[in-house]
Amino acid sequence: MNAATVPLLEVTGLVKRYGGVVAIDHVDLQLWPGTITGVIGPNGAGKSTLIGMIGGAVTPSAGVIRLAGRDISRRPASERARAGIGRTYQIPRPFLDMTVAENLEVAQYSIAPFIGAGLAKTERLNLLQLTGLLDVAEVPARALPLLKRKRLEVARALALKPRVLLLDEVGAGLIDSEVTELIALIQAVADPHVAIIIVEHVLRVVRACCARSMVLNFGKKLIEGPTAEILAHDEVASVYLGTGGARQSVQAAPKDEAAAPQQGLNLLSWLIAPKPPEAASRPLLELQGICAGYGQARVLKDINLQVQQGEAIAILGANGAGKTTLARTITGAIAPTAGVLRIAGDDAAGRAAHEISGLGIAHCMEGRRIFPTLSVRENLLVAARQVDHATAQQRLAAVYELFPILAERAAQGGTSLSGGQQQMLAIGRALMARPRLVIFDEVSLGLAPIIMDRLYEALATLKAAGMTLIIIEQDVDRALALADRVYVLEHGTFGLVGDPRDIADDPRLRHIYIGTAD
Amino acid sequence: MKQHRLIGDVGILAGGFALLWFAPSFASDYALQISFRVMIYLTLAESWNLLTGSVGLVSLGTASFVGLGSYVAFGLANHFGTPLPVILMICALAGALLATVVSPALFRLRGVYFTVGTLALAALLQLLMVNLPTFGGASGIFLKHDPPPLPSLYHYALSVALVTALAMAICARTRISVIIRAVRDDEDAAAQMGVRPYRVKLGAFALASALIAMAGAVQAINLGAIEPYGTFGLQWTIDTLSMVIIGGIGWRLGPLAGVLFVVALGEMLANYPEAHIAITGVILIVLIRFAPSGIVGLLTRLFTRPRRLSSP
Ligand SMILES: Nc1ncnc2c1ncn2[C@@H]1O[C@H](COP(=O)(O)OP(=O)(O)OP(=O)(O)O)[C@@H](O)[C@H]1O
Ligand SMILES: [Mg+2]
Repeated sequence: MNAATVPLLEVTGLVKRYGGVVAIDHVDLQLWPGTITGVIGPNGAGKSTLIGMIGGAVTPSAGVIRLAGRDISRRPASERARAGIGRTYQIPRPFLDMTVAENLEVAQYSIAPFIGAGLAKTERLNLLQLTGLLDVAEVPARALPLLKRKRLEVARALALKPRVLLLDEVGAGLIDSEVTELIALIQAVADPHVAIIIVEHVLRVVRACCARSMVLNFGKKLIEGPTAEILAHDEVASVYLGTGGARQSVQAAPKDEAAAPQQGLNLLSWLIAPKPPEAASRPLLELQGICAGYGQARVLKDINLQVQQGEAIAILGANGAGKTTLARTITGAIAPTAGVLRIAGDDAAGRAAHEISGLGIAHCMEGRRIFPTLSVRENLLVAARQVDHATAQQRLAAVYELFPILAERAAQGGTSLSGGQQQMLAIGRALMARPRLVIFDEVSLGLAPIIMDRLYEALATLKAAGMTLIIIEQDVDRALALADRVYVLEHGTFGLVGDPRDIADDPRLRHIYIGTAD
Repeated sequence: MKQHRLIGDVGILAGGFALLWFAPSFASDYALQISFRVMIYLTLAESWNLLTGSVGLVSLGTASFVGLGSYVAFGLANHFGTPLPVILMICALAGALLATVVSPALFRLRGVYFTVGTLALAALLQLLMVNLPTFGGASGIFLKHDPPPLPSLYHYALSVALVTALAMAICARTRISVIIRAVRDDEDAAAQMGVRPYRVKLGAFALASALIAMAGAVQAINLGAIEPYGTFGLQWTIDTLSMVIIGGIGWRLGPLAGVLFVVALGEMLANYPEAHIAITGVILIVLIRFAPSGIVGLLTRLFTRPRRLSSP
């Protein structure tokens, strides 16, 4: 009724407990129409839990949620969606057997069953256009790659014509030019009558869109205020931002120093396979003229790549350039249609995925693939089932050393972890096999900046101790700082190959990443 | 687009109905009896396919609603002499009402609890009928008046099957279909899109129960006598379920294919009832092992473009 005095959304004393874990601890929040609020904080701070409670998917242990003054704490999720709360899932949950367009129809027809078919179609096409999904409108959601699924999440939430829009990490995994597009999208849907919450580790989005922000830490509100002040705050830097990564440029950090073994090596060394004697002579991985794709669609064209034992290479490129396809080809998930694939000198083209993993190649997949019915610990042990108990325990200890939160959550179900914690679990699981070569697809997806610092320190340590790494990463600065060589994929071929120092200054990289718009 | 497909379906159904309506004028009594059975089973199978194939609610309660329809029909006919069309409408209401009354208990827990709950419901109703003398107890009830002649009963069964087929066409060809599939695929995500999963499931359950109760009523009147062990017997549930599985669960034409196949097989083996049961069992096992999407799924894979109500 009284828009000026009642907040559009008001949360008071909200609490969520999972057994002993307090995911949200007495949080208060007010959203006014026409505002965009950032919610940031470490992995597991409770951001997605907060979104879930506002959206109705998670039942609060205590507290009140009011929409335009009305208490909606006890209303089911469907009623909240109808009342105008649209949310995205951090880990997308599209209806897999429906087309992208049908996914939107669900939202459209549920809020307006008798909307004219023509009008619904026009609205749908507009949404698809806005979110860049027009070309895949008739594709089943199952066939969409992770980042398109994230866009579909946004499109579905918008199809509800929400008054309160809750975006949970929709910017994860985007390259700079795509982040620019996302910011434009958010600014386009911002409206004087709509309040938006953005949960995001891609701080550029928060900086560009949110006038005010809130930091959550261990479920509690740490600080709240104008975004610029928040991000400059010392405490926020120490619990969340870390070094920020971006500030440490390639030139400033000579590689030998970055790779200097740290005290963690003692434990991490359990995760590193001993160097085979023939290591020096033959490349560990060799691709010559590899072509691959899905059915009629040729994605990779004439890929040549050599990785020596102990090297770290980075693969960069826009989304859709074929990075994930390349990873899947190397690990045997898809068979190349032409070319030579050798692993430690042996022909591996067309071999099944389990054979290739038997050769010591591990794959940390984008989209995670955590087993929901297994506990965190079991998810890790699955990757080390060939070895004896004592060895497995040593590796487990090493992974726990790398990501202590996994030890804390060891007995919990794999998918009950927060998004970032699941990413740590996926990384840990790839390492548990003690691989000779690990391919990390979107290695830092959904990780808080401070955890990324830690991860890259660990990767440097592993590399120094002889592990071979292929890193697919959107954070160019961090990838360049770690890699010995950089390959930039463009439309299925390597458009640019070279030393990170040269690549960093190459205008073509800038062009791909920043886009022509800037 | 969707509208056109619905109109196409209705056209086909209307044409088929008109043709079959005149069957009594040239078909033998034997053929008419079999057609009657096909119509009854088709109604049961379509209803079960809607619940289990489309909405994802695995029901073992078909017999509850067959029995309910039978007893309500006999009660009305014997005590009030109600005309059959009115009886059918009241049976449909009774079926929907019973579904609605038991749904809070059945839907409270997901998955297997619904299944166990529906099974328990049939057993409970059977026990009730056996022990209540008002309903004829274990020996059952006879129809006091003569049932309508076979051609007339056949027309009733045909009409019930038509109503069923129309309801299925609406569920598959209108915007209701995306809502139903959303609930089956991911109830929570659907709720987050504003879909009310409880209402969708209840709607489907009530609709299926209403249709089954009507089929039960026509079937009982054709028999002229009912008793609790037969009308509430597990046989109805098992027959329906195996027909849909043989035909292809979740496929639009699955129930029809399954019913025609099983009824034809039954006629061919009419003189060897034991062999009939054994052969049906073997076919079920072989199909589940080698063609889990049933006859229609198998044929579609081999010959034509997919035409499904929803993917399994
Ligand atoms: N179903 C559950 N059972 C037990 N613990 C849970 C469950 N869901 C979440 N948690 C815990 O609650 C905490 C908060 O999780 P939440 O997903 O809200 O974090 P987040 O802030 O979104 O983190 P991220 O940035 O990694 O996405 C985590 O420590 C998580 O392990
Ligand atoms: Mg989260």
